[in-house]
Amino acid sequence: MKKTVLIILILLSAAALIFVYNDEALYSQQIMKITDITTENEDISRSPLGLEEEHYTRRITGTVLNGEHKGEQKQVLYEETFSSVVTDRFRVGDKVFVDGSDLQLKRDFYLALVVCILVVLLYIVGSYKGLLSAASVTVNSVVFYIGLYLYINGTDLLLVCVAEMIVFSVLSLTIAGGLNKKTLSAVISVMISTFVMLGLLLAVVKTTDYKGINFNELSFLTVPAEDIILPELLIGSVGAVMDVAITIASAISELISKNADISEQELKKSAKEIGKDIMGTMSNVVFFTYLCAGLPVFVLAIRNGFLLRNYIASSFSLELCRFLAGSIGIVMTVPVSTFVSIRIMKKRKRGAVQ
Amino acid sequence: MTVIILAVILLALMLYVDVQRGLKLFISLGMNFGVLIVVFYLIALGLNAIVCSLVGCFAVSCVMLFFVNGENIKTVSSLKSIAVVLVILSVLIFSVTYVSRIAGFGWESYEEINMFSYDVKTDFTDIAVSLILISLIGATVDSSIAISSALYEVHRNNRELSVKELFASGMNIGRDILCTTANTLMFAFLGDFMTLLIWFCKCGYSFGEIVNAKNFAAEMIRILFSAAGCVIVIPVTAFITARALKKHSCTDSAQPPQE
Repeated sequence: MKKTVLIILILLSAAALIFVYNDEALYSQQIMKITDITTENEDISRSPLGLEEEHYTRRITGTVLNGEHKGEQKQVLYEETFSSVVTDRFRVGDKVFVDGSDLQLKRDFYLALVVCILVVLLYIVGSYKGLLSAASVTVNSVVFYIGLYLYINGTDLLLVCVAEMIVFSVLSLTIAGGLNKKTLSAVISVMISTFVMLGLLLAVVKTTDYKGINFNELSFLTVPAEDIILPELLIGSVGAVMDVAITIASAISELISKNADISEQELKKSAKEIGKDIMGTMSNVVFFTYLCAGLPVFVLAIRNGFLLRNYIASSFSLELCRFLAGSIGIVMTVPVSTFVSIRIMKKRKRGAVQ
Repeated sequence: MTVIILAVILLALMLYVDVQRGLKLFISLGMNFGVLIVVFYLIALGLNAIVCSLVGCFAVSCVMLFFVNGENIKTVSSLKSIAVVLVILSVLIFSVTYVSRIAGFGWESYEEINMFSYDVKTDFTDIAVSLILISLIGATVDSSIAISSALYEVHRNNRELSVKELFASGMNIGRDILCTTANTLMFAFLGDFMTLLIWFCKCGYSFGEIVNAKNFAAEMIRILFSAAGCVIVIPVTAFITARALKKHSCTDSAQPPQE
């Protein structure tokens, strides 16, 4: 059975990949396949710091794959640098979008490839549970996109994110655990913890007025930074908070089902044992995801002669702040979900065996 | 200022949950931050970025495993598994980064970086690879230690189980944590690139344009590899821990276990 599903999955992935590789007709932008690259000119420029950087001018020839000019040859002159900070190094066989003299690689195939590899891996390692987690992530992405759509059409971003958070926690916890008291207590704990975290952050932010935080580092801003930082924090930590909440809720439900007469004191003690193990690992997950995002800009800045000390002070503050806020949410969930789970599951447990 | 207040709140909460563990954790986070800065700086100085980040990942894993959880058969097996996973993945990550040309910055970020000179004589392909490697280490260590600790408990309560049976139960435990880990990762990343997505929406990008944009592809590939790290580490840790536990219990009576 498992083998059959695996083969079907691999065949489906292969079909999807072949489709994505040949989907030029779906795009309105012109796409060409590179057939030849020659170097017209080589140049070395010297930066103010004395670094020697090679610049190349390449003549890129290709065949147009879609639109009116399909099948025609096309030539573009393209500037390339050794570091590839803002340029790319193209090779014969690449498919690229052509927009005047600007070339952009067609990346959809590579994205699809990595997605397919991951789905197959998830199935091999996790069987149906692996596929379930893929499904749950997909559902959440759709919900996220709907929220984004609402926001673009004028709803307040923080409001959207709070609503999304509720939907996320109900959906993912139900998908993972089914409809039962365990899920209910996890959902309630998630909400309480995130609201308390939000209140706490608002209080801190209002009293310090973002002192010492540098928003320059927040890229792609189309709205004031103050409006986006709280929603971002909320969404960024809700996954980890859910994880902690469900772990503690399951453990307490397990303990009660094994021994209905277990005292509240004992439950609290066990929950604490579990809580102290997971709070560390969860905050580590969030730590690395947030803090290393700044690596490319960091390298660019240091190579441009910025001092390490100044750079850390100015640019890591925001990332650190995000990480700290997220971790506060995670750690707070431990006592909150212990309290909520005991309240909900302990009360009516007498007589009602699972 | 804000950072310090938040840090104090976090420390207080961690101490409230458990004094000893909380303190250790807080220190370990500080140590990890230090390691991260050192690795970043070495990369910026021009050392090979992939080697630096692999060494950094190893150091960070040691902090998380040995400093927080103590040196024992569980953490040693976890460290071995993480090393194996890092080697497998770095090959894969390098190939994908190389072919998909996600190194450097997409044009959406030009505003952020236009104050810098781009002539920095550093291959940004390597930087992109190390970025992905460092991103995935936290989640991978998390999965690995969860499995090896659980497996250790299984072994302790049932010493008759063979390597094969232990491996099977390790895989079972792994499956249970997959779903929650996947969600944790996904949301952490969503929080990270929400501004980018809002930018795409506000600028009216079509689906096709979003999917092919360098910034989006780079971010997606980073998420997907973090997830892949968590997935691959499950069988590897289950296998290595199962063998180590079995070997340990065989040599237990004869001589003290090596390592």
